[in-house]
Amino acid sequence: MKKIILGSMFLPLLLSAESSSYTNYSSSFNQSAFVPDIALIVDGSYVNRSVTDADMDNYTLAGSSLSDYNEFNTNSGFNLNYAELSLHSDVDQLFTLDGVFHFNVEGVEIEEAYFTTTSMPYSLQLKGGKFKSSFGRLNKQHQHVWDFADAPLVYNAFLTPEGLNHPGVQLQWLAPTPWYMMAGVEMMQSGEEGSFVNQTFTDATSSKEVVASNEPALYIGYLKNSFDIANASVLFGLSAAHGATKSEEASFDGATTIYGADLLVKNYFDSYSYLSWQSEVLQRDAKGDDTNTSISADYTQRGAYSQLVYAYDQNWRTGLRFDTIFHDSRQSDPNEIQNRYTVMAEYNPSEFSRIRAQYAHNRAFNNVTTGENQDINTFILEVNLAIGSHGAHSF
Amino acid sequence: MKKILLALLALSNILMAEINIAVSYPFIAALTKTVGGENVNITTLAKGNWDPHFVVPRPSLIRQVAQADLLIINGAGLEIGWMPPLIRQSNNAHIQPGTKGFLDLSQFVTLMNKPTAVSRANGDIHPDGNPHYATDPYYMPILANAIADRLVLLDAEHAAEYRNNAAAFEKQWQANLTRWDAVMKPFAGTKLLQYHELFNYFINRYALVSVGNIEPLPGINPSSRHTLELIQMMKEQEVKLILQDVYHSPKTAHYIAEKTGAKEVLMPHDVDAVHEADTLEKLYDTMIKRITLP
Repeated sequence: MKKIILGSMFLPLLLSAESSSYTNYSSSFNQSAFVPDIALIVDGSYVNRSVTDADMDNYTLAGSSLSDYNEFNTNSGFNLNYAELSLHSDVDQLFTLDGVFHFNVEGVEIEEAYFTTTSMPYSLQLKGGKFKSSFGRLNKQHQHVWDFADAPLVYNAFLTPEGLNHPGVQLQWLAPTPWYMMAGVEMMQSGEEGSFVNQTFTDATSSKEVVASNEPALYIGYLKNSFDIANASVLFGLSAAHGATKSEEASFDGATTIYGADLLVKNYFDSYSYLSWQSEVLQRDAKGDDTNTSISADYTQRGAYSQLVYAYDQNWRTGLRFDTIFHDSRQSDPNEIQNRYTVMAEYNPSEFSRIRAQYAHNRAFNNVTTGENQDINTFILEVNLAIGSHGAHSF
Repeated sequence: MKKILLALLALSNILMAEINIAVSYPFIAALTKTVGGENVNITTLAKGNWDPHFVVPRPSLIRQVAQADLLIINGAGLEIGWMPPLIRQSNNAHIQPGTKGFLDLSQFVTLMNKPTAVSRANGDIHPDGNPHYATDPYYMPILANAIADRLVLLDAEHAAEYRNNAAAFEKQWQANLTRWDAVMKPFAGTKLLQYHELFNYFINRYALVSVGNIEPLPGINPSSRHTLELIQMMKEQEVKLILQDVYHSPKTAHYIAEKTGAKEVLMPHDVDAVHEADTLEKLYDTMIKRITLP
């Protein structure tokens, strides 16, 4: 107290002599050191297609309208596919938090927003929020990690281009085996489109009332194994997703199960050059009634893709993909094979930029008017750029 | 079933009574083995002859991080491209950064070349400074003691052993340092070209002079314009030595050597980078021999 009085007495003096005695040079409340890792990834493309954009709405794939099944590279000409803003940081000693936001011309989408635990016992990890399911191989990867500009047909048809990406929880367990073995289960809120639509509606024809299943209505499980042979890594997984399907658009009331098997063999020749072979097979079993007729409308569909990617060095990569829907019990000829062939070449000037040219010959889309499968050739020139913190990619 | 497996695992750990240690690079494995002796079981995640920046985060490595009691890394951003997904997916609470099972050796080192301006227009730079401190042999006793301190913290029972091992290593290493100083002394001031700023700590230690890099920017492949400029500059400054690392293509170094008459040396940067450098001591022996022999 005395000091303060003395100080205040000398204050005018001090001010004239040394104005800084009470100037605070420390940033007492500065929090900038706590800024999370921030990254912005922008993806755009130029597309040239052998059919018009209006025609594309006239096609179906595996019995579903294509207008629902386009997310990237939709328009002939220029596309801004997305500007992806992602934030990541530790919350505290128990959780990390991730947010991934897709900005596009229509608005902002919360692509993902989830917490992950870091210190659970027994090799367990819990994740919660809205996140991409670890079903299969491609589902949890973001578009910019894919080896091609678009998802395989079977993913688009069975899982939607958004993939299995809903609010829910995930529990993963790493087994104490000598090789890598991981098992996971997820419970999710089922979505508004795709295989696991869950709507309450009244059928317009039969006036039948369908009540949405009590949510969460989507259950997912998977088992992944991996081991190395010399410089090659082998990763194989089995997945299943089961959930209610109550769709007004498809006049369907029942449940769907999707089974998946995936295999990846990736051989590294040195630090930069590799050859990878990745394949997945998916089967969709839908069981339920047609709400128009109340007659059983069960169906089974199968699709697959297989792709080979060769990285020559850090700059150049090229790849070949074959993908197909090879069984659809709803078609007059269930085993009619519907194929697409895709080839791509990439130049990566640095780790943070990529220019990719991709050409696809597609005979998988069915023209609603003619009933015939349509030949579609698509050329895509895609540019992907990333700034900010660059999170390391998982295998 | 799960419980039985877990119990078995716990039991086997008790029986072996070893500390499972995962380390990022071979030089850390060598140091840890020297200090830890028979009480530690070491797994090295990266190979010595591959680019330390680009290690593939294979699931088999997740498995190895998952069973570790201690994870020792080089730090300073060298593992940023591959270690975070391994730690995240390991579901191992014991080795998370900030716990006593996580040791970042770069905190015992004064980093060189901290950039004053951080922009990726300048290539894939390390904002904290150059992380390749392991090319300076003087750091090894410091790191050995840091590892000993951590092992004492985790396994107090063998504290004396860890301390003694570190002290013995320090003593033996001192003789090596004296020997290497003597061999390198006449070479002080030697001008050289390197591929990436991989050997800056070595260069600094023995007062060599680095005049440039074959890569135009960190992490960017050589361009013909930059290469021609280097050849011109090397002729003007009479640079007679090129240090080529083991994981980049030596094509450009061959070309420059041919045009300038400079000696091209394949330099190991880590244990096992070349066949000859299969121990920590032989790593520096090989580096020095390759530079000093005509």
